[in-house]
Amino acid sequence: MLHDVTKRYPNGKIALRDVDLVIPEGDFVFLVGPSGAGKSTLIKLLIRDEIATRGDVVLDGQDLARLPRRQVPRMRRKIGIIFQDFKLLPTKTVWENVAFALEVTGYPRRGIRPAVDQVLAIVGLSAQAKQTPNQLSGGEQQRTAIARALVHDPRLIIADEPTGNLDPLISWEILQLLLRINELGVTVLMATHNAEVVTALRKRVVALEEGRIIRDEVGGAYHRED
Amino acid sequence: MISFLFFSIRRAWQGFWRNALMSLAATATMVLMLLLLAGFFIIQTGLLAALDFTEQKVEVVADIFDNAQPSQIEELRQRVLSLPEVAEVTFVSRDEALARFRERLKEQGEEDLSKALDSNPLHASLEVKLVTPEVFGDVVGMLREERIVEKVKEQQKLVDELLTVTNVLRTAGTVLLVVVGIIALFIIVNTIRLAVFARADEIEIMRLVGASDAFIRWPFVFEGAFVGFLGAVLTLVVLALAAEPINGFMLEFFQVLPIEVGSMTRGLVTLVMGTGVGLGIVGSWVSVRTYLIR
Ligand SMILES: Nc1ncnc2c1ncn2[C@@H]1O[C@H](COP(=O)(O)OP(=O)(O)OP(=O)(O)O)[C@@H](O)[C@H]1O
Ligand SMILES: [Mg+2]
Repeated sequence: MLHDVTKRYPNGKIALRDVDLVIPEGDFVFLVGPSGAGKSTLIKLLIRDEIATRGDVVLDGQDLARLPRRQVPRMRRKIGIIFQDFKLLPTKTVWENVAFALEVTGYPRRGIRPAVDQVLAIVGLSAQAKQTPNQLSGGEQQRTAIARALVHDPRLIIADEPTGNLDPLISWEILQLLLRINELGVTVLMATHNAEVVTALRKRVVALEEGRIIRDEVGGAYHRED
Repeated sequence: MISFLFFSIRRAWQGFWRNALMSLAATATMVLMLLLLAGFFIIQTGLLAALDFTEQKVEVVADIFDNAQPSQIEELRQRVLSLPEVAEVTFVSRDEALARFRERLKEQGEEDLSKALDSNPLHASLEVKLVTPEVFGDVVGMLREERIVEKVKEQQKLVDELLTVTNVLRTAGTVLLVVVGIIALFIIVNTIRLAVFARADEIEIMRLVGASDAFIRWPFVFEGAFVGFLGAVLTLVVLALAAEPINGFMLEFFQVLPIEVGSMTRGLVTLVMGTGVGLGIVGSWVSVRTYLIR
């Protein structure tokens, strides 16, 4: 998916250097590395929030740098994006927050209710559908965000430190949810600092440091084990 | 397409009320600026009307010998009227001239001394109004040649002075109106920009879930138009309430006739509505653009 990618920010900072990374469909990948290693930058390239300075970022057969601006929204609908800070609208209920993703993308109106109800059931929030984010725990808020990411039926879920604001127990809950989604055939890429989770799950681990991939092992731990 | 339109308008409506404080702040700014603009417009219109009115008074007056025949006078009147630079020629008889004179004295509250006279000392005259005050053309020369004309009073010098003054006032007024317009534009656009900025999160989420630019932009544009419309309506309401004193002021100060006030109202409604809605749309458009270009 990433071929020989370098990202240099306008201020001259080189956040990624010669990164090669292929993620097959259905994979579950942890992206780890110290703060400032370039994890978020890599994610921004994948959702075309930023464009690679050099090299190709190919998603689902499409070169993102060549993708016309008009097609970007359509491409983004194939990706579910989750952040550390949830990014929910505080004035809307759980249900409305999820429905919002469909409304603003021109989804047929009559299709919205069943689609939202379904994803809320998947993340286990059907009972809280009418509550607003400030009436929810952090874990429930993140599950709302996951529901919103799922509602377009994406092939890929990208999560940037989704458990960064959550306590260990809730973090495990979120991980369980992401694993279940992965079992449904959705590719998951998750950037995280959560060593315990990464080491315990023994999934594929890609480690970045100063913009380079220093390790890429299947069944790896958070830290290098030699 | 229709459903997109409904979507945009519904979201615009929700957006307006969800952020009622910001929306009302924007509307209030809009009202203040539009009032300022309208105020300048009124003064400018009044000024121009007053200037026109003054200019209309400028004319060439030809005194006629007392022994001239009515037919000769009428013939001359027709000839002068046929000149391209002439708008109107009025014959004022000796009696009318005297009547006017008495009228003027009465207005000024002076004693009518003319009663003491046993004969009318005034002359009959032809008063010539010009199409354009600057252009006298042949009128003066031609009248001088006439046998029945005793003397021609041209107010060229007075006209020149008056024209300089009115042209300066006119230019200054227009420049001021444009300057005020630009200031209003900046303040309004900035307020809308703030209102949009308050919802940057919403725009970001829309982008992340894959909303197209149109879906992000149009609700804001409609909302801006709505703010502009509301601001314009409120401004017009305020102006309507103030219409009486304004009319009084216009009549008093500029001596503008009510008819002109009527046509001014139409101009004012167009100005306020157009500026309000236009700025609302432009303001939202440029504000949202900042978030879309990336
Ligand atoms: N918009 C930007 N402009 C300039 N430099 C940036 C920008 N975004 C990130 N950087 C720089 O790029 C480098 C990588 O940042 P990035 O956010 O990708 O790190 P990260 O691995 O996600 O870190 P963290 O674990 O703290 O989230 C950092 O040095 C950062 O300062
Ligand atoms: Mg980061």
